[in-house]
Amino acid sequence: MSSRLALSRGFSTVLTWLSPRRRLVWLLGVAVLVVATATVLRAARQAPVSQPIAFNHLIHTRDLELGCEFCHKYVRSGAHSGLPDAENCSLCHRVQLGTSEEAAKLTKMINDGEPLQFNKLFRLADHVFYTHRRHVGIAKLECQNCHGAIADTEQPPTRPLVQITMNLCLDCHRKRELTVDCNACHR
Amino acid sequence: MRERARIVTRWGMVIDLDRCTGCVACEVACKSENNIATVPPDQAAMGRAKSWMKVVAEVEGEFPDTSLHFYPRPCMQCDNPPCVKVCPVAATYINDEGTVAQIYARCIGCRYCANACPYTVKYFNWYGPEWADSERQHLNPDVSVRPKGVIEKCTFCHHRLQQAREDARAEGRVLREEDYQPACQEACPTAAIVFGDLENSTHRVRQLKDDPRSMRLMEDLGTAPKVYYLRPRE
Ligand code: HEC
Ligand code: HEC
Ligand code: HEC
Ligand code: HEC
Ligand code: HEC
Repeated sequence: MSSRLALSRGFSTVLTWLSPRRRLVWLLGVAVLVVATATVLRAARQAPVSQPIAFNHLIHTRDLELGCEFCHKYVRSGAHSGLPDAENCSLCHRVQLGTSEEAAKLTKMINDGEPLQFNKLFRLADHVFYTHRRHVGIAKLECQNCHGAIADTEQPPTRPLVQITMNLCLDCHRKRELTVDCNACHR
Repeated sequence: MRERARIVTRWGMVIDLDRCTGCVACEVACKSENNIATVPPDQAAMGRAKSWMKVVAEVEGEFPDTSLHFYPRPCMQCDNPPCVKVCPVAATYINDEGTVAQIYARCIGCRYCANACPYTVKYFNWYGPEWADSERQHLNPDVSVRPKGVIEKCTFCHHRLQQAREDARAEGRVLREEDYQPACQEACPTAAIVFGDLENSTHRVRQLKDDPRSMRLMEDLGTAPKVYYLRPRE
């Protein structure tokens, strides 16, 4: 406590050395620096996500025309859409498909009975109430709205393609005259 | 959605004191429903225990003509809430349906609201919640765990409304009275607690709140609570 007091005393002494105009410039400079560091720290806090298999959305969704629901089973009916497990892939990948190393690795994993667990990429703080059922099942929104071009990725992204922020939710809700009551989304 | 805005809804509760036996089932149900952390005994002794629903025992009358009554006391969800007036950051506010919300992410922990509340139903998190591993598995995923340094309080189990509303929407029907019930009401073995929309004439609370026995706590303060009590018959 006392060291903090000393610090603020010191700070105000420094301020009195400067002319009022300079003071403003300095204060603004310090403010910008603080905000910039905070932003960088915030971005760095989210560790990159790695996946057990380098899955390729583009091949599976465009070339093979698999629906999102094939792998993300609960996207219409649940809060969370869910990620696929080995059983999903084993429908096709019990045998080697194509020539890629990753596909070979997957086939080996499946035949050895190794569990396959993908890691979650998009994540909301637990004080937010969000469900896919409401947005995909009922409102029939495109995944693009919130997940960007994930269906066109050829490598698993290590960071979310889109930062799902409160503004992203609010912008759409405002545009469509839906609820913007804090209590509707926070719990 | 715009249609819904026109219909006025005010969620409220009626508690029949004649039916309340003081069994505290509501208190227990509330704690487990809302992930309310227990605090160590020394902290509890300093008045830092949290209990969104608290059964308060009152002895009334002069000895030897005394009678004991139990007042289950949730947040009164005032129509004119003193806590909202003092919040400097609008973390607590009253929404269109009359529910006094507490947005934990927004709360700065100044505790003005806890001091303003005449019913003392706002609780401060002096410490981060601590749970044994065995308890952690039983946390309710529908309710967030409040961090250290924020105020928390009864929400009328708002997460149940979020869910119920979505269920109704998915099934393409309107919200029914029985769809949205707070945990305390559900747990009450004597059905002393009734919950619903005070503006909807088909809901039981609407009739009960106009009962001759009906009263509210500290009515003279003008806080206009939405929790009504039915006075015990003599
Ligand atoms: C309105 C925005 C929105 C739309 C539209 C949307 N999502 Fe999501 N999605 C989210 C959010 C937010 C999360 C993070 C949820 C969390 O962590 O609680 C998420 C998470 C996910 C996850 C990770 C696993 C999980 O369930 O948490 C998958 C997979 C997913 N979404 C697939 C889809 C698919 C497929 C579609 C389209 C059919 C879709 N989403 C449409 C917002 C959206
Ligand atoms: C409907 C059948 C089918 C399913 C289900 C399926 N795949 Fe594939 N997968 C294919 C085909 C076909 C190819 C293309 C092979 C080629 O032409 O190179 C492929 C290719 C791949 C490749 C190689 C990608 C590349 O860049 O060359 C990987 C990795 C892969 N799949 C992973 C998975 C995973 C993980 C799952 C389960 C979540 C899965 N697949 C489910 C049919 C399927
Ligand atoms: C063949 C299975 C398969 C299909 C079909 C599929 N996905 Fe995925 N999806 C995966 C796998 C495996 C992952 C995890 C690895 C990755 O991120 O690439 C994933 C991850 C995601 C994520 C990130 C989830 C997270 O953890 O937050 C989103 C969003 C997503 N998919 C959207 C879609 C959309 C939109 C479609 C339909 C256009 C789709 N997926 C179709 C298998 C599939
Ligand atoms: C692209 C538009 C869009 C985005 C982005 C979006 N929503 Fe929604 N949201 C909707 C629509 C449309 C509905 C109404 C669905 C219906 O018809 O019932 C809705 C409804 C809701 C509801 C139910 C509201 C009520 O009245 O009960 C909640 C809660 C919600 N959204 C939360 C979120 C959250 C949290 C996010 C951000 C992660 C988000 N939404 C992002 C379009 C969107
Ligand atoms: C449509 C849904 C929605 C509504 C309405 C909404 N929020 Fe949010 N809020 C979110 C989402 C999503 C986040 C981002 C959570 C995350 O970063 O994972 C968020 C984050 C926040 C945060 C930041 C938390 C942090 O730790 O960074 C605060 C504070 C907040 N909201 C307050 C409010 C207040 C106050 C209101 C009412 C005026 C409100 N919110 C209304 C969805 C919503």
